[in-house]
Amino acid sequence: MSVISRDVPVMKEGALQAPRVGLVQQVRGNLFGSKRDALLTVVLGAVIVAAVYFAVDWLLLSAAAPWAPAESCAAVAGACWPFVVEKYRLILFGTYPYVEQWRSFLASVLLIVAVAVSMLPSFHNGRLVWLWSVVGASFYVLMRGGYFGLDYVQPERWNGLPVLLMLAIFGLVFAFPVGVLLSLARYQSQLPSIRAFAVLYIELVRGVPMIMVLFLGLFVLPLMMPEGITLSPLLTTMIALVFFHSAYFAEAVRGGLQSVPRGQHEAADSQGLGYVQKTRLIILPQALQRSMPEIMNTVLGAYKDTSLVVIIGIHDIMATAKMAFSDPSWQHYGLEAYLLVGIWYLATCWCLSSYSRWLEARTS
Amino acid sequence: MSVMPRRITKAAVFWQAGFILLLVFALVLAVRNIDANLARAGISVSFDFLSSHAGFDINESLIPVSSESSYGEVLFAGAINTVVLSLICILGATFIGVVMGVLRTSNHYLGVRVALVYIEVMRNLPKLLILLALFLAAINTLPPVRQSWALHDMVFLSNRALYFPALEAGSGMRLLIVFACLWPVSLFVLGRVARRIQDTSGAVYPVFWPVTGFFAAVVAASVLFGWVDYPISYPVLQGFDFQGGHRISIQFLVLAAALSIYHGGQVAELVRGAIEAVPKGQFEASRATGLSFLQMMRLVVLPQAVRIVVPPMGNQYLNITKNTSIALAVGYSDLVSVMTTSINQTFRPIELMTLSMGVYLAICLAVSFAVNAYNARVSLRGG
Repeated sequence: MSVISRDVPVMKEGALQAPRVGLVQQVRGNLFGSKRDALLTVVLGAVIVAAVYFAVDWLLLSAAAPWAPAESCAAVAGACWPFVVEKYRLILFGTYPYVEQWRSFLASVLLIVAVAVSMLPSFHNGRLVWLWSVVGASFYVLMRGGYFGLDYVQPERWNGLPVLLMLAIFGLVFAFPVGVLLSLARYQSQLPSIRAFAVLYIELVRGVPMIMVLFLGLFVLPLMMPEGITLSPLLTTMIALVFFHSAYFAEAVRGGLQSVPRGQHEAADSQGLGYVQKTRLIILPQALQRSMPEIMNTVLGAYKDTSLVVIIGIHDIMATAKMAFSDPSWQHYGLEAYLLVGIWYLATCWCLSSYSRWLEARTS
Repeated sequence: MSVMPRRITKAAVFWQAGFILLLVFALVLAVRNIDANLARAGISVSFDFLSSHAGFDINESLIPVSSESSYGEVLFAGAINTVVLSLICILGATFIGVVMGVLRTSNHYLGVRVALVYIEVMRNLPKLLILLALFLAAINTLPPVRQSWALHDMVFLSNRALYFPALEAGSGMRLLIVFACLWPVSLFVLGRVARRIQDTSGAVYPVFWPVTGFFAAVVAASVLFGWVDYPISYPVLQGFDFQGGHRISIQFLVLAAALSIYHGGQVAELVRGAIEAVPKGQFEASRATGLSFLQMMRLVVLPQAVRIVVPPMGNQYLNITKNTSIALAVGYSDLVSVMTTSINQTFRPIELMTLSMGVYLAICLAVSFAVNAYNARVSLRGG
């Protein structure tokens, strides 16, 4: 190397530069470089301008201000913000007793904080089990009451945000271990009957719509109970969600399990580890890490799909939004209510997907 | 698949026997409880009710259904509605997804950003919210039936349905049906012939446009010279609704739109991934040979991307098919919605849910079979 470089004249820094391209040239080259590009620019530009104009007009210019009196909504063509001010408690907490809604609020915050803590990589160990046991118990006590001087609130009146968070989070928390077990059952070959059961279960659940599984929980699960035992719809929904999501988790983890090199199995076997030790210490950690993007995709999809429980009559925030504009004096402001729900989902899903990207960048 | 050679050990026998015993025990318990619970309600599991009178009408169907039909018939109509809705949504989502995916990978400044925003919004919103918001917007902005928006007094749009002229059965209809069958067959046969000629002599004969043009010309001539008659019924406002013509309910339109744009975002991501997986040299080589952007996409990039995209796309099509079940939320009579009405009337959840799950599994099997067949066709063959 050094022999050659001595003979070759060293290029001075800055001797060779990319030609400077001005902003105007860049814009012209990219947006109007060809007839096709120009056409696309015009069409998209028109769409963007129209969309921004309508959005700004509806949201701000011809909207009724949040502090305006409710009657002013009838006179404006845009959004009715007094509606949101009037109904935000109903949208968040539904028909939970008004004076007790601080409990709903606290329970929701508790779940959100617990999720945030669980996202920290330093918590990805046995402590999660303890954390979620405590969080689950406190959530139940806060929402249901009947202990510590809290008034009893029947589960039919649990509405809105805490119900959405409860079904989504506890559904996933319980479904994940079940899914991992199913996936392990599918991946081994020593116990063919258990393997056959896992394959059948996973493929069956993945072959039917989620609403079908929810209806199974609503109609068929209560029939399977012995006389005298009645299940609340929230509980049957939760069970149905666990059954449903576990099949998808199993599918997400399978790719990771299959990609663990054979040598890892052989090395673990030759160390004299038993099946449980081998799986827990060697195989699963690698498999879970490899399938993390898939798992996070499943989590995101499952969280969004929790909204489908509205169809079987559970009151999550989509249902309370509908409640808010079912009120005859506010019946024209449904889009405002759905906009609020949409912003909630956009914000939370964005957090989830950023977290998944961060996790991926961190491990690769 | 198998990591260790299988050998039958005592532990394996023990675990499996225990598992099977537990499973059988749970099953027996569930069945006994179901029997006991149903006996208390005075019914037992049987499919006889399928032939009995259902007594409810469904808002639209491709086969004739009325309030006189049996449960079997309305369920069948619901299943057909599910299939039709799925097909429309699959087409819509594929179209939107390919356009957005190509935009996302283009180097057009605005195009990339529009596609990015679209994909991210669709990724982060629940489909039910999109459906309900669109439905609400449609109901609020579209006029009631008597003040329908009209296009040349032939096509009407109201907040209940879209009405348009329909071709009634007659010699014209028969001609069109025959042509609709002949067109793909002749495309296939002539395409084979043209390919063989190209393989042997190198001469290229166009197939698609001549064949399509021929059929279109015959149809146009038959209309102009009146060889066959085309009896058309126009929608006419009578009383509170339109009579004649054909109608598509607003529920169907909103469902098709909502599911197409929702899944379009996911298809776009798949298309982007597949295009980015095509080696960069392929793009450069095709530009170097002087192909335009569209030619490059059509002739070089997309055929290679298709191979990568087919398996995940098949999965996506299955998801679309299953997601049409949110039709219940806006009251379109798909399979699930007919099923729940029937369950509420007959209280036969076991039979009805078994049937409906069977239908969904069959549809899913059919779709995955079709996708696998297509995959085998487009994938590279050795030798």
